[in-house]
Amino acid sequence: MSQTIELCKISEVDEGSAKRVEAHGLSLAVFNLNGAFYVMDDACSHGPGSLSEGYIQGDNIECDFHNGMFNIKTGEVVEPPCLIPQKVYKVTVKDEAVFIET
Amino acid sequence: MARIEIPAANIAFECPENDTILRAALRSGLGAPYECNVGSCGNCQFELLEGQVHSLYPAAPGLNERMKQRNRHLGCQSQPLGDCKIKVPLREDYKAKILPARTHGALTRMRDLTHDIREFRFRLDSANAFLPGQYGLIGVEGVEGARAYSYCNITNVGDEWHFQIKRMPNGACSNALFDHIKIGARVSLDGPYGNAYLREDAPRDLLCVAGGSGLSPMISISRAFAQSEKLKDRMLHFVYGGRAMRDLAGEDMLRELPGFGTRIHYHAALSMAEPEWKGRAGFVHDAAKDVVGGKLADYEIYYAGPPPMTEAITRMAIENKVPVGQLHFDRFY
Repeated sequence: MSQTIELCKISEVDEGSAKRVEAHGLSLAVFNLNGAFYVMDDACSHGPGSLSEGYIQGDNIECDFHNGMFNIKTGEVVEPPCLIPQKVYKVTVKDEAVFIET
Repeated sequence: MARIEIPAANIAFECPENDTILRAALRSGLGAPYECNVGSCGNCQFELLEGQVHSLYPAAPGLNERMKQRNRHLGCQSQPLGDCKIKVPLREDYKAKILPARTHGALTRMRDLTHDIREFRFRLDSANAFLPGQYGLIGVEGVEGARAYSYCNITNVGDEWHFQIKRMPNGACSNALFDHIKIGARVSLDGPYGNAYLREDAPRDLLCVAGGSGLSPMISISRAFAQSEKLKDRMLHFVYGGRAMRDLAGEDMLRELPGFGTRIHYHAALSMAEPEWKGRAGFVHDAAKDVVGGKLADYEIYYAGPPPMTEAITRMAIENKVPVGQLHFDRFY
């Protein structure tokens, strides 16, 4: 059954940056791209990297471990060495806070 | 003895000057990330916040210039020069189930399996057990640095470590092992390492795919499978890939296992088969998919071999919607 989880206030994630949030046993990276919020699993699907510590380039996040790249909006692999798409979540913003549905 | 501190985790551990930061962290029971242990994968990189380290392998392919400029170092190749502070993402799943330890051992037996794969058996001075699918590091006198080789036997005690090793054309260590080392010769040993070990609790049949010396860990996993009470109602498909008929290996060892032919099945695929070969032709990952009728997601998949093979299997598994947690593999560099 799907549930809605509050992750953080929108004021906690500056535009063009990411924040790591632990919620309901999940470790998540919350991104703010030009005022729009996106959420994916924080642990890189390829190695031990934490994507919230990566480098945002346009719509993509470059992992700071092996320089692989994912699309922040879709989780698709943009640059190797990663092969496995990153899990992304459906995001809603309500009352100045970021929510996901799981 | 150096003290290595991880301020973000509020943890410190001791590292002897002649050990490496990754291995000392694992010996201390910390979940420091890694995979290959020989400088190739880059998983063990850490940021050096304070202090100095010496690299055993400055040209290691696992760390590019950009990462070096960010003050990253490879844990598996870095020896501390005094106390250090580092930043590294500790993770529960990297914690060693059996703490790795350093010892020495003597070669007790050798046996040729193919034209370029040989089994080497060592008796340890100080026993340490391992899980099926894991690997140990072998250091041979006169060869710079240790090499990672997967175990092929199973053991509860760990007084014997057996390895099936492929001779690499330019491999200093494998050539020394094949050409120079004699029965009774002593080597340094360190282990166990690796996270691609048998999961006895996984409620699925097993698919083991091996190429080249990927044979060794898949044989160990198959031997453990045959004995496992928890897995007694499961099936195991073993798929071995080589180029030509002289590369074929593994079937004789599986035939010795209880359940061979009923719940343990051997399949071989040759990518450059001779005309007289009557078996499967083509790549081992295609053969593996065919063996399980395309139903890859129903299996716990173990695989080991050269990087192009492991990459092909990973891609195929993703395309076929296999949950990532069902994939267990080691890349052999």
